[in-house]
Amino acid sequence: MIDKTLMTMSGIKRIMSLLAGLAVLQALFIIGQAYFLARAIAGLWNGHALTVQLSSLAIFFLCYFLRQAVVFFREKILDEYAAKQAGLMREKLLQKVFLLGPAVVQENGTGNMVTMALEGIHQTENYLHLILAKMMNMMIIPWLILIFIFTLDRRSGVILLIVFPIIILFMIILGYAAQAKADKQYAAFQVLSNHFIDSLSGLATLKLFGLSKKYATSIYQTSERFRQATMSTLKFAILSTFALDFFTTLSVAIVAVFLGFRLLNGEVFLFPALTALILAPEFFLPLRDFAGDYHATLDGKNALQAIQKVLIMPETENRTELSLSQWQESSELKIDHLNFRYSTETDFSLTDITFQTQGYQKIGIIGASGSGKSTLVNLLSGFLQSVQNEKADIRIDQQKISHLAQNDWQKQLLYIPQDPYIFHETLANNVRFYEPAADDRQVLAALKVAGLEALINDLPQGINTLIGESGRTLSGGQAQRVVLARAFLDQKRKILLFDEPTAHLDLETEIELKQNMLPLMENRLVFFATHRLHWMSEMDFILVLDHGRIVEAGTLEELQQQQGFYVQLTQEMRGGKQ
Amino acid sequence: MKNNFSILTYFKKDRWVKPYFKKYRKMLFLALFLGFLTFFCAGALMFNSGYLISRAASLPENILLIYVPIVLTRAFGIGRPVFRYLERLISHNWVLKMTSDLRLKLYNALEKEGIFLNDHYKTGDILGLLSEDINHIQNLYLRTVFPTAIAFILYIFIVIGLGFFSLTFAFWMLLLLAVIIFLFPLVSVLINGAHQEQQKSARNELYSTLTDNVLGVSDWMVSQQGKRFVAHYERKEVELREIDRLIKRNDRRHNFFLQLFFGVIAMALVVWTSQRFVGDHGGAANWIAAFVLTLFPLIDAFAPLSDAAQETNIYKDSIQRLNRLPQADIQKMSVPNLLTETANFDLEVKSLNFSYEGAGKKVLENLNLTIPFKEKIAILGKSGSGKSTFAALLRGDLKPDSGSVELNHFPTSDFGDAMSKYMGVIHQNTYLFHTTVLNNLRIGREKAEEAEVWQVLEQVGLKEMIERLPEGINTMVDEAGLRFSGGERHRLALARILLQQAPIIILDEPTLGLDPITENQLLDTFFEVLQEKTVIWITHHLQGVSHSDRVIFIEEGRLEMSGSSGELLVTNARYRSLMAIDQGTA
Repeated sequence: MIDKTLMTMSGIKRIMSLLAGLAVLQALFIIGQAYFLARAIAGLWNGHALTVQLSSLAIFFLCYFLRQAVVFFREKILDEYAAKQAGLMREKLLQKVFLLGPAVVQENGTGNMVTMALEGIHQTENYLHLILAKMMNMMIIPWLILIFIFTLDRRSGVILLIVFPIIILFMIILGYAAQAKADKQYAAFQVLSNHFIDSLSGLATLKLFGLSKKYATSIYQTSERFRQATMSTLKFAILSTFALDFFTTLSVAIVAVFLGFRLLNGEVFLFPALTALILAPEFFLPLRDFAGDYHATLDGKNALQAIQKVLIMPETENRTELSLSQWQESSELKIDHLNFRYSTETDFSLTDITFQTQGYQKIGIIGASGSGKSTLVNLLSGFLQSVQNEKADIRIDQQKISHLAQNDWQKQLLYIPQDPYIFHETLANNVRFYEPAADDRQVLAALKVAGLEALINDLPQGINTLIGESGRTLSGGQAQRVVLARAFLDQKRKILLFDEPTAHLDLETEIELKQNMLPLMENRLVFFATHRLHWMSEMDFILVLDHGRIVEAGTLEELQQQQGFYVQLTQEMRGGKQ
Repeated sequence: MKNNFSILTYFKKDRWVKPYFKKYRKMLFLALFLGFLTFFCAGALMFNSGYLISRAASLPENILLIYVPIVLTRAFGIGRPVFRYLERLISHNWVLKMTSDLRLKLYNALEKEGIFLNDHYKTGDILGLLSEDINHIQNLYLRTVFPTAIAFILYIFIVIGLGFFSLTFAFWMLLLLAVIIFLFPLVSVLINGAHQEQQKSARNELYSTLTDNVLGVSDWMVSQQGKRFVAHYERKEVELREIDRLIKRNDRRHNFFLQLFFGVIAMALVVWTSQRFVGDHGGAANWIAAFVLTLFPLIDAFAPLSDAAQETNIYKDSIQRLNRLPQADIQKMSVPNLLTETANFDLEVKSLNFSYEGAGKKVLENLNLTIPFKEKIAILGKSGSGKSTFAALLRGDLKPDSGSVELNHFPTSDFGDAMSKYMGVIHQNTYLFHTTVLNNLRIGREKAEEAEVWQVLEQVGLKEMIERLPEGINTMVDEAGLRFSGGERHRLALARILLQQAPIIILDEPTLGLDPITENQLLDTFFEVLQEKTVIWITHHLQGVSHSDRVIFIEEGRLEMSGSSGELLVTNARYRSLMAIDQGTA
C-alpha cells in the first residue's frame, strides 16, 4: 500500500515518528473520553446527582477537546509537509519537462503533461497526506484501545480481536471478486463511456449524412447500457464496503449483547461494560477511515508513479562537448554513418546518413512522405539523438561530438516547423521570444520585413494585441510570418531549420511568404525539408531521401543531369499530367 | 453570503436537472428514505445497546425482559449496512438514469449547431468539458444534495422524536442542531467561498499558462530559456499555494470547532437526561446511556455537511455552462423532395451576397455561377477568400443575405437534414468513429449490404488493406487508428460518400498537408469514382487541377478567373505563373 518512493522523501522519518506520537496521544484521549463519559453515566445510573458527576464530565470534555486538538495539530503538520513535498516535486517535474523538451511531451502527450503537473501533483499531495496519517492511525490506535478493552472485559476484547482479521479477509476477497468483474467489463466500459464524446466530436459528420437526429436515440440507449453495466459492477464493487460495515456494526451489536448477558449474571459492572461499549466503534474507526479514502489514495498512488516515471527519464548527457561561439562562413559540419531508430520500432528510420557542409549553405531535403525528412531535421536540431554505432561520427569544426543536442549548437538554431506554435501572448512578445530585450522599434521592423504590416494595422492594440489560443488566432500563413519575424530579430542565430514550413498553406500565400523568406536565408546555414519542388531552385545543395537513406545528393543541375532518383521523384510528384 | 445564494439562484434557473426530479420521483424518495434508515439504524443500535446494558445491569429477574432489546440490537446491527448498501445502489442508479437523460439533452442542444459545431467549439476540449460537466452534476447529487437532504430528514425526525419526551429539550436540540446544519455550512461557505473562487481562477490561469508553454516546449528548449519559464511559473504557483494554505487552515479550524460543538451537544444530552430520567440503579436511569450514546454515530450524518456545501462552488461553473447552451427545439419543416430519376441536379447561384452576423465585411459579393449536373469544378482562392463559406451556402447550411442558391430551383437552405440525400462532403479531416470499419462506412447508408460495402472499398482501393486487418472489416478503427494514414482516411471518407449515393459531392480541401505523390494518387481515385456525379472541389493549389472541367478563382469574395485549366494556361498569364510555381518549374 505504501509507496517506496515516499520513504525517500526528505524529512519523512521525522514526520512518521511525530505521527506515531500523535496517534498514541489520540488513542489515550479516546480512552479517557470513553472512560469518563461512562463513569458519569454510570454515576447517574447509580442515582448520584449530576453535581457529583461534574468532574467526570469535565474530564470527559477535556479529553474530547484534546483529542480534537491532536487531530487539528496532525492535519496542520501534514498539510504543510504534503504541500512542501508537492511543491518540490512539481518544480523537479517542470525542470525536467522543459529540459527534455519535445521528447518527453511527445511520449506522454501535452494534455497528460499538464494534467500531471497540476492534477497529478495535487493528487500526490492528497495521497501523501492521507496515507501517512491513516496508516499510522491504523497501526497504533486500535491496538491501544483493544489493550484497554481487555483490561475491562476480556470477552469483548476477544470478539473485537477476532473480527478485525475477518474484516480484512472479507474486504480482500470481495475486493478481488469485484476487481475481476470490473476488469472483465473494462473494455466494454471504455467503449461505452467514450461513445458520448465520440458522438459529440463526430456530430458534424453525422449531420452531413443526415443522421444526427436519429442518432439521439443511440446516445440514450448507449448511456442506458452504460448505466446497467455500471450498476452490475457496482453491486460487487461496494460489497467490500458492505462487508466492512456489516462486520463492524454487527460486532458492536454482539459486544453489546454479550455484555448484557454478563451484566445479567453479575460477572461485570455497568461502568466497565459501558466503557467497552463506547470504545468498540472507536476500535474500528481508523480502519473505516482508511477504507473510506481508498480511492483517493489509489489515484494519488498512480499519479505519483506516473510522475516518478518522468522524473527518472534519462537526461541527455554530454551537452557541452562542443565549443562554438558562432557559426561562421568557415564553420564546418560533418556527419558520417549516422543511424536512427525510434524506441518503439524495430526498423531504422534513418540509415547511414553521411554528408558535410560548410558556412552559409542552403541545403534542401526532399523525399516522399515517410522517407525520413522530419526525422533528419529532428536529429539536426538535437530533439532526437542518433543510435550509437562505432562508425558514426559527427564533427563540427573538427570537434567530435556524440549528438547535436549541444548547448552551443542549439543556441545557434532557429527551428521553423509545419505549424509553428504561437504563444498566448502579445504579438510583440511572441516575436521577441528569442530576444527578450528587443524594443518595440526593432520588433516592428522585424514584423515589417516578415510582411505582417497589414496584420498589425488590423489588430486592435497593434503589436500589443494578445494572439494565440483564446486570443486572436492567426492563419497558418500569419503564424509562419510571426516565426520568421523572430528570425529577423535574432541575427545571432545563424542556422535555420525548416520542416515543411508551407505544407499547410495555399499556393498564393506560399508564394507571398517565399518572398519574405528568401532574404532571411542569406548568410545563414539553412536546412529546408519540403515536398514543394519550387524551393529546390533556391538551394545550393540537395539531399534526396528515400526509405531513410540519402540516395542522391548534389546541386539541382547535377541532379537534373543525372536523370536519377530526383528526376523520377519530381515526375511522380507532378503527377505526370502536364 | 453571495456564494451561497448564487448557487441557489443557479438551481432556480436550472433547466437541466430539475425536470428529472419529477420524472424519477419515486426512486429519489426511496434513496432518501434508505439513507435516513441507515443513520436511523446506526443511532438505534447504540440507543438499544446503551439501554440493553443499563437494563441488564439492573439485574432483571427475567431474561425475557431484555430479550426485545437483544433482538433489536442485532436487527439494527444488520439493518445499517444493508440499508446503506441499498441506498448506495439506488442513489447511483437514480443519478445514472438522470445522466442518460442529460446526455441526450446535451446532444440535442449541440445537434442544433450542426456542422458549425467544430467552428464554435474549436478544440475537442470544450466538448470534453461539457461531457465532464454532466459527470460533475452526478457528483453534485451523490456528494452534496443527497447527504444534505438525508441530514435534514434526520434532523426533523430527531427534533420531533425528542418532543415526545420534552418540548423544552426538543426546542434546544432544534437550535443546537440548526447550528450544525445551517450555521456551520453557511460560515464555511462564507469564509472559504471567496478563496475558492480565487483558487479556481488561479488554477485555470496556471492551467492555460502551462498548456500554452508545454505546447511551445520545442521553442523553449531551442531557446535554452526553459529555466526562465519554470522560475516564472513557480512565482505564480506560490500565489495558488498561499490560497490553498488559507483554505486548508480554515477547514482545519472549522472542523475543530464543529467537533467541539458535538462535544457540547453530548454534554447537553447528559445534563438533560440526568434531569429527565432519574433513577437509582436502573429504572428510568436506564435511558441515560441510550440517549447519550446515540449521538456519536449520528455525527457521521451531520459532520460532512460543511464540506458538501463548499463543494457546490465547484459545480457552479458546470451548471452555468450547461444552462448557457441553446435549448434544443425540434421543429419539422416541409422539405422539397427531389425524385432521383427525373430531377436534374443543376446548382444555380444568382447575385449571391453573404456576410457573417456582426462582421461588416462581405465574405461573398455578387456571385453568379451555374454548376450543371456532372460538372467537375475546381474552386481556388487564398485561405480566407470565402471558399468554405461558399461551400456551406451551396449545401444550404447558411442562408444568403441576398440573391439565391438553388438546387433544381429550390433554395438549398430549405432542405435541412434532407440535403444529405443530394450532397455529400469530404473534409480535410475525416472523422472516424470509435467503432468498426464497417459501421463507420455504413454511416453513408445504414442499410448497405456488406457486399456493397466491399464493392466500394474496392473502388476506393482499400479492399486489400482492409482484408489484411486482424478482424477485417469488423476491426475497430481506434485500435487500427494509427494504421490509417491521411490518404487512407480520405479513401474511407470517399467510400462512405459512395454509399451515400448523393449526386453532388463537395471536396473541401481534402488533400491539404498530404505529400504530392499521395495527393496525386488520391485525386486520381476521387475523380475516377465520382465520374457520374457533380464534383465541387475546393483546393489550395493546382496539383491535379487538370481533372476538372472548369477552374474558378475566388478573390476577396468575388469571382476572378473562370475557364478550363487548358484555356487559362493559354489566356491568363497569372494562371500560367501559378502553375509554373506549383510544378516547381519556375
